[in-house]
Amino acid sequence: MTNRSTTHATFVIEREYKAAPAKVFAAFANPASKAKWFVGPEEWDKSNHNLDFRIGGKESVSGGPPGGVVHSYDGEIWDIVENERIVISYQMHLDKQRISVSLGTTEIKPNGAGAKLIYTEQGAYLDGYDDAGERERGTQGLFDQLETFLSK
Amino acid sequence: MNTIAHATIVMERTYSASPARVFAAWADVEARKRWSAPADNIRIEYEEADFREGGRDLSRCIEPGNEDYVAAVTYIDIKRDQRIAFVEDIAHGKKRVSAALISMELTPQGAATRLLLTMQIASFDEAGMEQGYQFGWNAALDNLAKEF
Repeated sequence: MTNRSTTHATFVIEREYKAAPAKVFAAFANPASKAKWFVGPEEWDKSNHNLDFRIGGKESVSGGPPGGVVHSYDGEIWDIVENERIVISYQMHLDKQRISVSLGTTEIKPNGAGAKLIYTEQGAYLDGYDDAGERERGTQGLFDQLETFLSK
Repeated sequence: MNTIAHATIVMERTYSASPARVFAAWADVEARKRWSAPADNIRIEYEEADFREGGRDLSRCIEPGNEDYVAAVTYIDIKRDQRIAFVEDIAHGKKRVSAALISMELTPQGAATRLLLTMQIASFDEAGMEQGYQFGWNAALDNLAKEF
């Protein structure tokens, strides 16, 4: 019998953007926009980013260092409130190994002329391949890329 | 204003049965219908049941005098006799009230099995689903003991 482990954790990332809530929401909802910031490091080989932005729709993208381990993201959208909320669950694989399952909620609120984003990720990290700290750092990097995308 | 309340609930039980028997009681939809109803006046009906990774369930929790709670499940990770991880959302009437990531882990303890259930819940718009999960799963896990 394989030795299993499941570690649960929650992290919260808050960001303030100068862009209005509708513009921040569009960066998640528009597949061409999301593909620009929801990507791995520049030097990685990458697949196409697929996003079917509707409740029940799927999202997928994968990539990795040339010749190295392929990181695959597969998501499913559970709830959408226009300009306010997106709920996505996703699983990550390293090559064929499933390493985590997460539930991520994105809340967008008006903040003066801009928007405040609150992202909460509840995760189950499987069999010791990843942990919440590593995942939070990676997610912070994605929201940095979102900030760059919104300021263009 | 839309709000989300996040919560994590952990429940633990020990059953006098092997991990294979406990796992089977989750995998078999007929068994699940018996033990997952949290009260005598509540029954569970399945419109879809597909217990495999990527498979979906659609079930209805029916209580006289209350609108049905409809649960849609996607199974993500299934390790036979060891672990089940799934995502589910619940609608009450026309309103989606929660999404949750649920993992169930089984560990052998002598001839018995320890079950650890972790529910990571996002409850929408003050629906109070943390309490709903607390009530529903406490009762269901107690019922599960009667299967063995």
